[in-house]
Amino acid sequence: MNNTTFAEEVKALPGGESLEMCYSCGTCTSQCMVQLKQEPEYNPRRLLRLVMMEMRAEAYTNPTTWLCSACDLCYPACPQQIHISSVITAVKQIASQNGIKTPLATSVVNQQTCVACGLCVEVCPYDAISLQVIKVPYRGAVPVAVVESSLCMACGLCGAACRSNSIGIPEEYSDLDVIEDIWSWLRPEGASL
Amino acid sequence: MVDAARQPLIEVKTYTEVEKVEGFVGNFKVTLREKSKYVRADRCNGCGDCAKVCPVEIPNYFEMNLAPRKAIYIPMSQSVPLIYTVDLDACIHCYKCVEACGALQAIDFSMQDKIVEEDIGAIVVATGFSHFDPTPMEEYGYNRYPNVITAIEMERLNNSAGPTSGRLIRPSDGKVPQKLAFINCVGSRDKRFNPGCSNFCCMYSIKNAVLLKQMNPNVDISIYYIDIRTPSKGYEEFYDRARSMGIHFIQGRPAMITEDPQTHNLFIQSEDIALGRVVEHEYDMVMLNQAAIPQPDQEKMSSVLNVARSPGGWYMEYHPKLRPLDSPTDGIFFAGACQGPKDIPASVAQGSAAASRASRVLHSDSWQIEPTVAVVWSDRCVSAQGKPCGICERSCPYGAIDYQQGRAAEVITAKCHGCGGCVAECPHDAITQLHYTDAQILAQIRTLLAEEPHKKILAFRCHWCSYGGADLAGTSHFEYTSNERGLKVMCSARMDTDFIYEAYRLGAGAVLYSGCHPQDCHYITGQVVGAKRAKRLETIFERMKMTPGRFRVEWISAAEGDKYAHVLNEMQATLDAMPEEELLAEIDRLRPEMEKRLGRLGTIPGVGPALDYTQGIIEAMLSKEVAVK
Repeated sequence: MNNTTFAEEVKALPGGESLEMCYSCGTCTSQCMVQLKQEPEYNPRRLLRLVMMEMRAEAYTNPTTWLCSACDLCYPACPQQIHISSVITAVKQIASQNGIKTPLATSVVNQQTCVACGLCVEVCPYDAISLQVIKVPYRGAVPVAVVESSLCMACGLCGAACRSNSIGIPEEYSDLDVIEDIWSWLRPEGASL
Repeated sequence: MVDAARQPLIEVKTYTEVEKVEGFVGNFKVTLREKSKYVRADRCNGCGDCAKVCPVEIPNYFEMNLAPRKAIYIPMSQSVPLIYTVDLDACIHCYKCVEACGALQAIDFSMQDKIVEEDIGAIVVATGFSHFDPTPMEEYGYNRYPNVITAIEMERLNNSAGPTSGRLIRPSDGKVPQKLAFINCVGSRDKRFNPGCSNFCCMYSIKNAVLLKQMNPNVDISIYYIDIRTPSKGYEEFYDRARSMGIHFIQGRPAMITEDPQTHNLFIQSEDIALGRVVEHEYDMVMLNQAAIPQPDQEKMSSVLNVARSPGGWYMEYHPKLRPLDSPTDGIFFAGACQGPKDIPASVAQGSAAASRASRVLHSDSWQIEPTVAVVWSDRCVSAQGKPCGICERSCPYGAIDYQQGRAAEVITAKCHGCGGCVAECPHDAITQLHYTDAQILAQIRTLLAEEPHKKILAFRCHWCSYGGADLAGTSHFEYTSNERGLKVMCSARMDTDFIYEAYRLGAGAVLYSGCHPQDCHYITGQVVGAKRAKRLETIFERMKMTPGRFRVEWISAAEGDKYAHVLNEMQATLDAMPEEELLAEIDRLRPEMEKRLGRLGTIPGVGPALDYTQGIIEAMLSKEVAVK
């Protein structure tokens, strides 16, 4: 174990330099759409504070670390010009290096049906998907899409782009679930697929 | 103000612009443009009949453009002197005012601007500050939502002499607002606009909130803040009083204001840090406390007065702690917010102090200056032989050198502050600086490098910054190499190329050339003169293939003791990394080059005897027996 502090590690990564400029005004939090629409516990200001106060365990499990979509709505509003999404990405990177897995339900590939067309690789905004030749049961060593779960933000673009229904977010955001949702909106009288 | 105008020894000149300031302490010649008011001061009695008949209406700047004024106007109701002015840009030349004025015949459209020159002993600059316009901060919707106004606009609305006779109403529908919010730090403490704190806005917003609460106890007032700063006597007690009156203080900088388009009510969204959650509140009206910024023409005035500006644009004082209201130019003083944002008590204190500083000038027959002024040896100045030069004049930050081709340059001693820039720049060594003569400094260099010079690091420090930095490094016990030998001059502008060459000729291991950061220079632009020369030296030594790191240029402030220690340790590391014989070989290789550049050194008056004398001291110092005696 080296002797660098958490703050030093974050500051060493690109965009993390101005971490300690934060004077806790709360502009970022009140600006944030993730906080507003999805997760009330989401708070970038507090994550920055956790980093500065060396509270690693809390920072790694804090929803803020994993839910930032890097929309950068907070950056132009920050009076101290801290690139907050870069700081969060830095924390996420350090967490991943320490073996922490994202709590999000990330994209999953059906290796049996994937044809490695590369459409999902092209559309992924987070560069989380790559084509790799791996050994797949019953198919041998073939190229298939592979998702790097620490980079995936579970936006679902890959699932929408895939022609063979081979990639997507499982559970509540699978194709079937979404279609059922749409049906329930169109036919409110309880009609289903 | 009325008292000041009545006092027979005070002459008030309004609507007058300072165009030029020449001369020096006690003997300024100031050129003023007395702008034409088109109303004769000796005839106007301020009755206002002219304004009543004027058909033109334009926004009134004093009322924050919330009310109209006529093309013939007085700036405000308490104007001193009470004389009307015609705004010729707005006037339609109907001459109804002339008719209304009648027999008084005070209005005269043939008047012209008058240029006058005055003899002035001392100048007090009290030009105040300006307000940041929050329009570029789109998130707050100023100028887009009618009920978002600035705190100054609110003050006009709340003033009994203001456009609404003191009734605070909403601009959108004229109703009296019941739920109000103030937002602090709008444009200040914000690196996108003004990084500094505006000093008085916390107290200012509390004052406004208390005032509104006193007028109507039922009104609901919130103040959004990042930090509340109430540092002076009685301020914290006032803050307490505001809290006990039921004013809400919400820690959290609002990210956004949105508006209900039907009611024009406003929604402020912010994190409430104490609650740890994002809250949204509805208000009838929102007031923004804008940042205090320098006057828009402060840059122009700084070149007229020849005073420097600090980062941020405020006028720079001589010393932030010890001479906070003196300008770097003798005889010019600052009062109030032109030197930096400050509140009323501080401005009044500074105003009184500046007046007494100025009266010291007026009541003296003579004026003491620093004795370290420059002196020209007229027999050495090439201008006296008719050759063109003028380098000294160009390097002087104070315009203290009178140069005319054909006669020797002259130093106006009262204007000279003793940076020594001209002395070092003069290519003919025709100028010297008292107490920092070439002979004195060369003698110091010789003595410092008397023993094992190749192991020594000679550090040139400027009096105000890097010397202070070295001092701080010492008092803070920052460890740095004991091979450093320091030498002080007043400014990096004085660090002559000859000194550096001489140091290397004598075999110095390394030389540090250090001074203030450009914005901190106590001689306005002295550092710039020094920095230019340092750059030239760096190129020369590079061409000589001197090992990089043996000559180093660093700008170190008096607060950067750690940097001073760090730089010297790095230089020591450079020397340690070189084998001794290699270093000595390099010194020997470069010695003839240095000698070539030092050809004229012996001809400078005083240098020969000083060096002979120094030689005696060095010999005595090196021989232990004599040293013991």
